[in-house]
Amino acid sequence: MKLVAGVDIGNSTTEVCIGAVEDGGGLHFLSSASRMTTGTKGTLPNVLGVRAALEEAMDRIGLPVRALALVRLNEAAPVIGDTAMETITETIITESSMIGHNPATPAGAGEAVGELLWLDNIQRGRPGVPYIVVVSDRFSYEEAAAMLNHYMQELDIRGLILQADEAVLVENRLRKKLPIVDEVRRIEKVPEGKTAAIEVALPGTCIRMLSNPYGIATLLGLDAEETRLVTPVARSLIGKRSAVVIRTPHGNIRENVLPAGHITFHGTQEKRINVDAGAEDIMRALAEAREIRDIDGEAHTNVGNMLTRIKTTMADVSQEHNGGVRITDILAVDTLAPVEVSGALAGETCMEKAVGIAAMVRTQQLPMREIAARLEQELGVEAAVAGVEAVMASLGAVTTPGAGLPLAMLDMGGGSTDAALLQADGSVRTTHQAGAGELVTMLIQTELGLRSRTTAEQIKKYPMGKVESLFHLRLENGAMQFFEESIDPRYYGHVVLLAPGEMLRVEEDIPMEKILQVRQEAKRKVFVTNALRALREIAPGHDLRSIPNVVLVGGSAEDFEIPEMLMQALAEYRIVCGRGNIRGQEGPRNAVATGLLMSYLARQDTGG
Amino acid sequence: MVVSRPAIIIYTKEADADFLREVCAGIEEEGVLYQVQPREGDLDTLAWEAANESMLGSGIGICGARLAMQMYRLPRGKNVFELDMPAFWQCRNLGANSARAIKKLPFRPVTARNGERPQ
Repeated sequence: MKLVAGVDIGNSTTEVCIGAVEDGGGLHFLSSASRMTTGTKGTLPNVLGVRAALEEAMDRIGLPVRALALVRLNEAAPVIGDTAMETITETIITESSMIGHNPATPAGAGEAVGELLWLDNIQRGRPGVPYIVVVSDRFSYEEAAAMLNHYMQELDIRGLILQADEAVLVENRLRKKLPIVDEVRRIEKVPEGKTAAIEVALPGTCIRMLSNPYGIATLLGLDAEETRLVTPVARSLIGKRSAVVIRTPHGNIRENVLPAGHITFHGTQEKRINVDAGAEDIMRALAEAREIRDIDGEAHTNVGNMLTRIKTTMADVSQEHNGGVRITDILAVDTLAPVEVSGALAGETCMEKAVGIAAMVRTQQLPMREIAARLEQELGVEAAVAGVEAVMASLGAVTTPGAGLPLAMLDMGGGSTDAALLQADGSVRTTHQAGAGELVTMLIQTELGLRSRTTAEQIKKYPMGKVESLFHLRLENGAMQFFEESIDPRYYGHVVLLAPGEMLRVEEDIPMEKILQVRQEAKRKVFVTNALRALREIAPGHDLRSIPNVVLVGGSAEDFEIPEMLMQALAEYRIVCGRGNIRGQEGPRNAVATGLLMSYLARQDTGG
Repeated sequence: MVVSRPAIIIYTKEADADFLREVCAGIEEEGVLYQVQPREGDLDTLAWEAANESMLGSGIGICGARLAMQMYRLPRGKNVFELDMPAFWQCRNLGANSARAIKKLPFRPVTARNGERPQ
C-alpha cells in the first residue's frame, strides 16, 4: 500500500486530497484539506500553500508528509482579470466650479442665482445685487442667522452655502426662506465674486435645473458653446438632492478622452474590434475567430496597455521572454465605472460605461515543473505534473452520487471556468475559459464604487440584511430575523453581511436593493455567459441539447445563488444540472485533487 | 386626557446648559421635535424613563456633565450611547442620533479613538 496526494493549485485556493493505493489496485480516500493559494497561480511561491495544505491533510490522519510516496500536481494556467474602460472620459475642472452632493438635511427648496459673497465680508455687499452668501464653520448657527437677518434688510440675499451641518438650524432662525446647501467641507475653495446657481430639491425628489445643461444655461446665462462645456457637470449632478454650480467665465472645464482602443484576435480568422462596441460584440468576434493563438490590443490605448501589462507580469513571474506569453481567451462584460471629476469640491464622480475583461494567459513553459522540483526538494517526496485540469475535474465529478456517463462537468473557480464532457467510452472533450469568481468580485467593487476589495468579496459571498431596529434585521428576501439580545448600535441602520457567526457592516451608504441588483447581475453576467459558452464548446455538434446532465464543481459552485442561476438558465435546454458532491462528502470542492488520484490508478491499470 | 406631541424627551438634572443646547441643536437639525423637563433620578433612570415615555421611543438623560441616550424597550442601564464631559460635537451627534434612531438611519460617531473629530 502506498500513499498518494493529489494537489490542485487554483487561482484562489489550493486543494489537496490524500489516498491510499493498495497493491491489488484498489484506492481509498483518507483525507483532504484546502488553503489559500500563495502567489500567482502557476508560480514558485505556490509551494508554500501546497506544503501547508499537505501538512494539514496528513496531520488529520496522524502521519508526517514524508510518508507520502507521490504528489501529483495539476497543469495550471493562470487567469488574470482586469478592467479596460470602454471610454474613460476624464472631466477636468481647473477652477472649482461645482458642488453636488446629498447632505442628509439641506433646507428650503428651489433655486437661486447670485454673486458669491463670504459672510465675513458681508458689510461690503451692495444693495440691489443678488447674493449667494457663503458661511464657514467659524460662525455658529445663531451668529450666522442673526447677521443674515440683520443684513437681509438692505441686501438681496438669495441663497446660502454652509460648511457645517446646520442648514435646518439656520433656516429655522431666518425671517425669509432661502435654499440652503450645507456640509460643504472644502468651503475655502469657493471663489468669491463669481456668479453661482444653487438648487435644493424638495424632500424625496432630485434636483432638476442644475442636472440639465439647458437648466444651467438658463440660470447662468450661457451661450451654446459654454453650454456644451458644462454638460459633464450637469451629468455628474444627476440624482443629487442639492447642488451648486459656479460660473467660471474662461472655459475652465475640459474633457480628456482616452481612447479605449481595438482588440485583435489572432485565430483561425483574424478579427479586430473596437472595445467601444461593447461586451456582446467583442464576444461574438472572439467566437468568430475560433481557435485563438493570441490576443493583443492597440498600442497606447486602455485595452492595449492592459493586455501588455498582463503579458509583462506573466513574463516576469515565469521568467520567460515576453514573446513566449500568449493570451488565449478573454471574457468581456459590460459594466459601469465611477470616474472622478477632477477639481470638483466634494470628490464627485459620474458613472461611465466600461467593459470589464478577464484574460487567460498561456506561457510556453509553465513553471509547474519547477514547482514540482521545489516540492521534491522541500518535502523529500517524489512530485509529478499530471493531467489537464478539466479532465481531472471531470474524473472527480463522476464520484458525485447519482451522476452517470456521459457527463458534462463545469468547474467554476476563482479565475477560470473549465468544462469537460466525459463520454461512456472514456473520450473527453475539454475547454478552458477566462472569467469566474474574481471577475465577479471586480465587477461588484467597480459598480458599487467600494474602497476595499475585501468588502466586494464579502458582498459576493454572503447574503445580507438591514438592521432596522436594535432587535431585528430585514433580510434581503424580505423576511425578518429577531434577536434576544440587542444588536450593537454601531450596526443600526446599516446594511450588514451575514457571515457565519458574525455580522459585517458595509461602510458605504448604498441601499440594500442596489447591492442586491449589482451582485446578482455580476454573477449572471460572468457565470451564465461563461457556462453557456463553455458547454456549447464541448457539446457534440456544439448543440447544447445534446448534453444530458451537468455537474457543477469548484469554489464558485459553493456560492449560495450561482448554482440556482445556472439551473434556471440550463433548464431551458432540458439539461439536468446541479451542485456536485465529490466522493459523496466533499461538496463541490476537491474535484481536481480527487481526479488526480483516480487518474493515477487508471495509469497503473493501463500502463502497469 | 393628556395628549403628548410626538417628541424626543430629554430629562435633565442640573444639566450643563451648553451640552443641553448642543443636544437640542442636533435634534433640530434632523427635523424632529423635542421637549426638555427637569426630573430627579440617576443618569440611567433619566434616560430609560425618557425613552419609555417618549411617543417616538427615543430619549436622552442629562445629569450634570454626563449624558445618555436610550431607546424604548432596551433594559435600564443598557444605554445606547453614554458620554462624560464630552466635546460639543459629541453632544451634537448624540442629539442627532436620538433623532436618527426614529428615522432608522445609521448613527453618527459620538466618540473618536484619538480624540479627533472624525470626518
